[in-house]
Formats: sequence, structure tokens, C-alpha cells
Amino acid sequence: MKVAFWPGCVSKGACPELYISTQKIAPLLGLELQELTQAPCCGSGVISEQNPALADSLNAIMLAMAEAHGADLMTICSVCQGTISRHNYAFAEDPERLARANGVIASDGLRYDGTTRVKHLLWILVEDIGLERIARLIKRPLTGLRVAPFYGCQILRPEDALGIRDHPERKTYLERLIALLGAEPVEYHGKSKCCGFPLVTFNKERSLAMGGSHMLEAKERGADLMVTPCPQCHLNLDAMQPDAARVLRRGLDLPIFHLPQLLGLAFGFSPAELRLDHHVVSTHGALTQIELKA
Amino acid sequence: MAFDHDVVVLGAGLAGMRAGLEAARSGADVAIVSKVHPVRSHSNAAQGGINAALAPEDSWELHAFDTVKGADYLADQDAVEILCREAPGDIIELEHMGVVFYRDEEGKLGTRAFGGASRARTYFVGDITGQALLYTLYDQILKAGVRVYEEWFATSLVVAEGACRGLIALDMLHGDIHLLRAKAVIVCTGGIGRVFEPSTNALICTGDGMSLAYRAGAPLMDMEMVQYHPTTLKGSGFLLSEAARGEGAYLLNAAGERFMERYAPKSLELASRDVVSRAETKEIAQGRGVDGCVLLDCRHLGKDVIMRKLPQIHELALDFAGVDMITDPVPIRPGMHYAMGGIKTDVDGKTRVPGLYAAGECACVSLHGGNRLGANSLLDTLVFGRRAGREAAARAMETEPSKHGENVLADEQRRLRALLERPYLGETHARLRLEMGTAMDRYVAVERDAGGLAKALEEIRTLRERYERVSVGDKGRIYNQALTFVLELGFMLDCADAAVRSAIARTESRGAQYRTDFPERNDAEWLKHVLIVHGRSDPEYLPVTITRWQPEARTY
Amino acid sequence: MEWTVVVGRYNPEEPTEPDESLPGPPPPFARGFPKSYQEYAVDLPPHAAVLDALIYIREYVDESLVVRCACRSAICGSCAMWINGHANLACKSRLDKFAVDGKVTVEVAPSMRAVKDLVWDMTAFWQKHRAVMPWLEEKGPVPEREYRVPAAAMENLVQEVSCISCGACLMDCESFAVNPDFLGPHALAKAYRYADDPRDAATEDRLTRYSEPRSGIWECTHCYECVQQCPKGVAPMDQILKLRRMAVQAGQTDNNGTRHADAFADSVRHTGRLDELALVPKSYGIFNIGANLKQLPGAWNLLRAGKLLSMLHGPIPGVQRIRDVFDKVGGRFGGRRDGEAIDAYDRPFHRL
Repeated sequence: MKVAFWPGCVSKGACPELYISTQKIAPLLGLELQELTQAPCCGSGVISEQNPALADSLNAIMLAMAEAHGADLMTICSVCQGTISRHNYAFAEDPERLARANGVIASDGLRYDGTTRVKHLLWILVEDIGLERIARLIKRPLTGLRVAPFYGCQILRPEDALGIRDHPERKTYLERLIALLGAEPVEYHGKSKCCGFPLVTFNKERSLAMGGSHMLEAKERGADLMVTPCPQCHLNLDAMQPDAARVLRRGLDLPIFHLPQLLGLAFGFSPAELRLDHHVVSTHGALTQIELKA
Repeated sequence: MAFDHDVVVLGAGLAGMRAGLEAARSGADVAIVSKVHPVRSHSNAAQGGINAALAPEDSWELHAFDTVKGADYLADQDAVEILCREAPGDIIELEHMGVVFYRDEEGKLGTRAFGGASRARTYFVGDITGQALLYTLYDQILKAGVRVYEEWFATSLVVAEGACRGLIALDMLHGDIHLLRAKAVIVCTGGIGRVFEPSTNALICTGDGMSLAYRAGAPLMDMEMVQYHPTTLKGSGFLLSEAARGEGAYLLNAAGERFMERYAPKSLELASRDVVSRAETKEIAQGRGVDGCVLLDCRHLGKDVIMRKLPQIHELALDFAGVDMITDPVPIRPGMHYAMGGIKTDVDGKTRVPGLYAAGECACVSLHGGNRLGANSLLDTLVFGRRAGREAAARAMETEPSKHGENVLADEQRRLRALLERPYLGETHARLRLEMGTAMDRYVAVERDAGGLAKALEEIRTLRERYERVSVGDKGRIYNQALTFVLELGFMLDCADAAVRSAIARTESRGAQYRTDFPERNDAEWLKHVLIVHGRSDPEYLPVTITRWQPEARTY
Repeated sequence: MEWTVVVGRYNPEEPTEPDESLPGPPPPFARGFPKSYQEYAVDLPPHAAVLDALIYIREYVDESLVVRCACRSAICGSCAMWINGHANLACKSRLDKFAVDGKVTVEVAPSMRAVKDLVWDMTAFWQKHRAVMPWLEEKGPVPEREYRVPAAAMENLVQEVSCISCGACLMDCESFAVNPDFLGPHALAKAYRYADDPRDAATEDRLTRYSEPRSGIWECTHCYECVQQCPKGVAPMDQILKLRRMAVQAGQTDNNGTRHADAFADSVRHTGRLDELALVPKSYGIFNIGANLKQLPGAWNLLRAGKLLSMLHGPIPGVQRIRDVFDKVGGRFGGRRDGEAIDAYDRPFHRL
């Protein structure tokens, strides 16, 4: 399956392990990743906040590039998924916005006709590749691991822009994949809440309190590790975890996996190949439970 | 504990807050008492709009005539003149307070058509006009710093030395009962919807103030005049605003006919509400209904108009009846909606009891006579809420502070304790209320007759006896709803009794009262109001005040 | 049809011990008010709402159960509560859509205090409402008749005027859960309604007030819970974002929020991507030595994990295309000035 692959900024910056592990598992899943190397940052919701016209134009460029490929736009970041979906939805609901954006990008020979579908790898796995095919790829079932799903708010809300109205099961894909891989999904309230990342430079203490409280809840429910489809969440949960633990005045030590890393482990890749040794919070504890070393 | 204020307002809906605001602006120390937070008051459910003769091609005289005709000539015309003359000023004041009224292309206030109106004079905010006004009034109350006793449930008025001097209220959040001493009390507690089942009204519309004023000696007038709104949603009974018909919606029977052509050839769907409700009832009774309903068809209005001007009722139909009015007609039937009758007041809100005032739906001036026009109720609350507030403040300025009420407080404490301690004797408030509501909806609805009304009266009398055996299923102190529900049932029974007795007394058909045994309007004998007085078995009568408009045949 | 309704009960006269086995924000944050969960069986048709079940229980099964409700038709705002872990109006929540295996759980949201059973303490909610100066300060001169304002300007505000103060947004607001000082979505949406009313004279004062650190518009974490849960389509978060634009336009730029957005845009302009390394110091202000020093331990962690180097990158291929876009529509867009027409971007496009 060919996809116009948008890796997002963070997977090429602070979370290279996400990009690398995605590259590793793609061929097994039959995913041909045609990377949009010239597409701009989606703005992460931050640019659209201050300057909607600018954010519309940047996203129109990306959507037009995907359209030129004639393939679905695949994201590996909840924030990209949310942001690009919202702009795509706005273009569909309000032709004036699309016309304006096209007006801006036309001079570079680009034009978006509104036909691109934006799908996160998480959705593509379940909806396009299918759980059966994934099951056949499992070489190392993750039996005994208790995994807490953490979606990242931007891939869950608002439901209209994300097509969740038509696909309400998208709110459960992480649990289904976790179970498919042989692990036990941990049920806890914080899985659909915000990690606090958008606030980390505005009010760091409260930002870390958010992410920290969800990690603590997951741990109390028995999680060995947390998996997230969002590298921005990953930053607040993994990179900032020592700070979060200080804010909470509780130890956390909860390894945070990227989704492709979890899949990659089950497919038989080594932790080093998936760069599980390049996290701030050591993954060693979780890996030893399935008899691996970080 | 006892609290002292100049003016105490009971009820924090539009009338109550407007009265309280005016009294405060007139220099009085005001307290508003409400059993719910002000924004939960049922004013928030009014949808369609508020009338005023502001447009150049309109005049207050036209508005007044439409109102008098709509009332089937039972309205007191001096009061109607005041309502219509002062309306424009009140609308502009509302706009200055910040209401986000609909505008035309020139940025001026814009109107929509409404029932019984010869000109389009209804000003609106989408189909959430009541909510928009209520919140604006609440904003103004905050700005003026008026004190609100929130979630305080009034159990009794204090009447001493021939005047009303305050009230007793239960603080639900803490469970204590208090005395509020005042020089003037304004009752603004709204209607009596829960006396009927079903009704468009909220669960809190239980006629508290009407009953409290009645027991304090203020007569209740025209209680038989109960408006059945033509378009209430099938099943739940929720209101679908007249605004839909104002925007052009049709009413269809099972054969797809616009049947209003036969009943009101000129105004069709925008005839007076009692006319439309009777028409629908006839169509359904004669077998042209669809499952006990007729159909409200908005499809031809188009998605844009519906989503911009009628979004709330679109949502109501979708959420509560599963019908998308953009693509399908909505099943509706007449449902109890508004009480034209209430506590008798003069044009300044004064009741027969000195120091006791009333305004809004719970009052009867009478503005709406036998039938209220749509969008006149919101106007009523503001114009007469304001007048009552000013009048009460003026009285407060020349009255000594009250020293009365401690004995009433002690009595109420005893009474409530006894009620709480009553063991279970087989009766629950829920069951009694349902029986009352069903009986009222059966015998005192769109069509009535002597036999049915007699049955209703008997039913109410029996329920009153059984009420003495109702117990309170929650013995706690904090937030005891079971206790307040039992007290509300008592209030409702008073109102039901007054309504039935008035309907029996009026041996004619006029406005909302249609008697199959007296189907004609009888101006020779019945241009008068029926008053029910506490402690008197026979009604009193008051002639209707006629200034300019002699009664004519009422056709639409 | 048979349904099981599990109700989180709380009786202030007989308080219960906190039930540690249930989900909720963990210590040291409030685990919510201690409740005991009681199950009731009701028999109601599938299209009946959760509120119908609660009223039924209250009337026929257990008179001591208390719940605020009035209109039953989603306009009075009384009956908002946590239903299966998310805030919703009970009258609008159909049993057949909300029940899982025939069971539905209702309770006061964990970030709120209960007065009794399902009645929650709204003191903080109304204090926040009051704190934003929620009334019109009439702009002078006050005309004799109505202010003349464009229809679109009034229609723009109707979205917030649809708010019924049910509190669902605040119940699920993440920022409020960890920071009780946050004014919250309902209050800030109301704040926008007055800030952008052309008849209001106090706009600048409002924007200053609403930009306060720790309580104002910059405390929102952008998570869309309020937009998703609001039963009336008010989309409070969108109103907060509009306030941010207005505040920046009005010159309220000395805050991390503005610096962060500027740094983000600069980064994309120069390289086509987000430059995470520069973002942190630029957000705090490059000369804010104290704050920047505090970020060093985090940077050290990233370095140790081998993540720092990949954060250094140059412009992407084809970056000129992006710079062209910035030349055309870049810069701080900000809010409209008085009298300007409502922009396409302010038109709400989701009614959830």
C-alpha cells in the first residue's frame, strides 16, 4: 500500500527513534512510504492559533503534495493527525477557506482539490492493513506485558474533524493492537486525556502535573509500560518524566514506547534496532519482562 | 436566622430579575430568592422572540389590538395599552444591556413573523431568545451587585397586621430554614406546567408563588385559561417554537393537507394558538392524525434557514424524537404550555394584599386574557417586572422595617419537621402528581364539558385528602429534594383546584377555554374575570376593562 | 428494556471513605469526592435518557437520590454529570447510546466537589464566571435607539450565547483539574463574548485581565475536551483561541505564549520545520537567564539519550516555497479591529 508519508517535525528532530522504527516495520506491513520531504510543518495547532491563514496555506501545501502522489497522507504523530485533519475538514466544510489557501499557494504551482484522506499509522494498521495480516507477522508475542495506551488528545478530538463520528472504533485501536500483540491493555481514565505538552513552555509545572498524573494512574493500574502514537506526548512523558516525577513527588519509572517500537518488538526486531536504548526513561525494566535487554 | 431587606423577590426568571434590578436601581436593598440558580429558571426555554411595535410601519395600537383580539377580549385593555406602549422602550433597553438580537442588512434590529400578529414585530436571537434575555439579565444582576439567595425554597409568606412582610425559606444547601423580613415582596414564580401531564414546562414549574399568594389572601384570576401550545414534540412534549411557523413551516394532517386553510383561512398556521390547537385536536379526533399527532413540515425552508434561525428546535427534534426536520416532517400535538391566569394584580403589580406584588407568568393583570400571543410573554415579564419592581421599591421607601415573622418561622419549622417525621402511609408525591396531571390533561385540556370538569374536581379533592398521607422518603437535612417535591405538590393542588373551579364557573367558550356544552362566546354575560379566593367556595367576578376595542367576532 | 444504573452517591451527613479502586486523577491531586456506588435496575425503552432513569429511581425506587434537573430538554443546563467517565447532559444521553452491556455509571466528576449524590458544588464555577466581568460596559455615546452593528457581528456571538452553563466543559477540563486557578472554558468563552462585542467599551481592560498568568487564556492546554463535550456546540476552546489572537493584536505580547508562537513561526519560516532546540529559550525569552538555566537538566537528559544531535537541522529542500507563503500571509494575524467584517476563520464550522 502506497502512502504519502508525513513524518512530522519531532520524529526528524527530538524523537528520531520514531522515524527509524517506522522505517523498519513499514516493509513488513506492505507500506510503501513516499516521504513528503518538501512539505512544511503542519503548525501543530500553534500557528493556526495566531494566524489561521498561514496555517491553512501551509497545510494546503502538504495536502496538495499528497494529492499529487495520489495516495493517503499517513502521519505518525497525533498532533499532525489532528491539525491536518482539522484543516482538511475546514476546507471541506468551507470552500472559501480552501479557495483562499489555494490563492496563496498557486504561485508555486500548487493546488489542493480536497481529495486527500489523512490517516495516522494507527488507523491504517487496523483499517487498511488489517489485524489478521499483522497477527501473521508476530514472531515474539508480548505475553505478560501490561501496556497502557496513551492516545494523545489530538487524535481523539474533535470527533467530527477526525472522522470518529463514522469510525467510533478509532477510540479503541490502541487497545486492540496491544491485545493482538499478546500483551494486556491496561484500562485507566487518563488514556484519552492530554499529556500537557502544549503548556510545557507556558506553565511547566502544571504541564508536567497533567502527564505525570496519567502516568501515575497507569502505573497504579499495573502498567509495565505506556505506548503512544504521538511523539509530542512522548516528549512530555519520556523526556520530561524526571521533572514530572519531581512535581508529583512520586517515582514514575514508566517506559514510554512509540507505537512502531511496540509493533517492531513483536515482529522480532531487537531493541537496539528500534532505538529503545535511546529514551530518557530506560526501557530496560519492561524489556526484561519479555526476556530482552535494552 | 432572620435577614432584613427592603424588597424580596421570589423567583429569579426574567420577571424576577427585572423586578429586582429595577427595585435596586430605585434605591432599595433587594434580595432575590430562588429555588434554583437564576439561569435554570424556565425563562431559558422560551424560544421564539419578544414583541414590540418598533418598526415604522407598525404602531403600539396595532400591537395592542392584536393582543386584545388574541386574548379573545378577556384582556384588560388599559393594561394591554401599557404593555404595548412601553414595549419599544424595553426592547431598546435590552439591546443596550447587550442582548445579541438579530439584525437586518442595515444593522438595525430585525423581526420575524409570529402568531396572531398583523405585522412582523417579533425581535429574536436565533431560537434561543429566552435564554439570551435571561443571561443578559443575570449579567446585569451581577453588575448591579444584587444579592441572590440561591437554592432557597420558599415555604410560606409572612402576613401580619394586614400586609405581607416577608417570607420563610429553606436553604437547601445547608438544610436550615430562615425568615426573610421585607417591606415588600414580589412574587415572580412562573407557571403551573407540572399540574398537567404532559407539559412543555420544566419540572420546577409548580405554581409555588401562585399558591403562596393565594394562601396569603391574594385571589387567583382566570385560572381556567391554560394555553395548549400547538407544536409540542410527540412523546416528550417539548416545545417546538412558533418561530418555525413564523419562518414559514406548514402544519399537515395524515392526508398531507395544510388543514389550517379550513380553520383560519387568512392567518393559516399563524393564527392564535388556541385556534391552532383546537384545529389540531379536531383533525386528530376525526381520524386525520398520524399516531395521535399532526405534522410540522419545515423541509421547504431549507437547511440554511433551519440551521441559522431554528438550530435549537432542529436539535430537539433530532435528539428527542429522532427526526431531522431538514428531511422529514416532525410529529407534534398540542401540549400544555402557559398559564394566562394567575395572581390578580393591577398595572403596577399590586395584589389585594398590601406589600405583596406579582409579575410575569404567575401574575394576571390581565394582559393575555383568554389566550396569549406568542412573544408577548417575554415582553410581559420585562415591562411588568420593571413596573412591579419600581412600585415595590417606592412602597419600601415609605414603610417601616418589618418586625414580624418569628412566629411564622417557628410554625414552619414545626410543620416541616412533622412532615419529615411522618411515616410511610402508602402515598408518594410522584404517584399523586401523575394522577393529578393525567386528570387535568384529560378533563381540563383543549376541549372541556361539565361532566369532565366535575370529575376533575372530584379527583383533585380526593388527591388533597390523600396528600395528607404523603410522606417524605428522605429524612436528611442537606439538599432534601423529596421534601421540596412534597411541598410543591401541595402548591400544585391549590392551582389545580382553582383552575377546575374557574372552568366550571365560566359557562362559555372563550380563548383557551372551549366547552363542548357551551361552545359559543357569550359577551353579554361573560366579559368578566373569574376570581378564586382562599377560604371562599364561590368565585368573585371582575368586569373586563374596555378602553378602545369593543369585542368583535374573532376570526383568523 | 432492563438497564443497570450505577450511581456515585455521597451523603454529607454520612460521608464515605474514598474508594481507592476506582479510576481518577491520582494523588497528590484530588481523587474526587469520596463516593459509594449503588446499583439500580430500571426498565425503560431504549430511547429513554439517563435522566429519565434517574427520575424514575428518584420517584419510585429511592427518594433519597438527588439530582438537579428541570427542563429535561437540554436548555436549562442543570443535569450535567459524568456519565461513563465523560461529562454530558443526562437528559440528552440516551441509554441505548451510552450504556455498555446494559450498564451506565453516573457521578459527580472527580475534579468537582459533591454537595450530595449527583448535585455538585458550583461555587468555583460561578466565581470564575463572575471574574471575567460578564456584562456589557456600554460604549458611549449610547444611542437613543439600538446600536447599529453588522448582523455578522451579532451572529458571531450567538455561538457563546448558546452556553447553558451546564459545567460539562469545566468537568472535563484537564487544565482545571491540575490548576484550580484556571478560569476555565466556560468563563473564557463568556469573556470572548464580551471582548468581541462591538458595543463594549472595556475590550483592552478585558484582554489584560484574561491574559493573567496562571488563570487566563494561556493556561489552556488545547486538548479539545470542552469542544467535544459541550452539548450546545459552544466550542469554548475556539473562543479562547480567538481571545489569544485579540490579546496579541492588542499588544499583550509579553508572555511565553506569544513568544512560543512567534518562535514556532520563525522556525518554520527559516527551515520549513519546527526547531525544538530554539523553541524553549525563545519561549522564555532569550535573555531570561534564570528560566533558561532551569531547562538545562532537561537538555542534559536529551543529550544523554542521544537525542540532541538530531535536533540540529538546516532548511528542508524547497524551503523557498514556504518562505513565499510567509511573505504573503505571515506575521501575526491577530484579531479584527472595530468595524472590520467577520472573517472566514471566525465562522464556527463544527456543531458537535
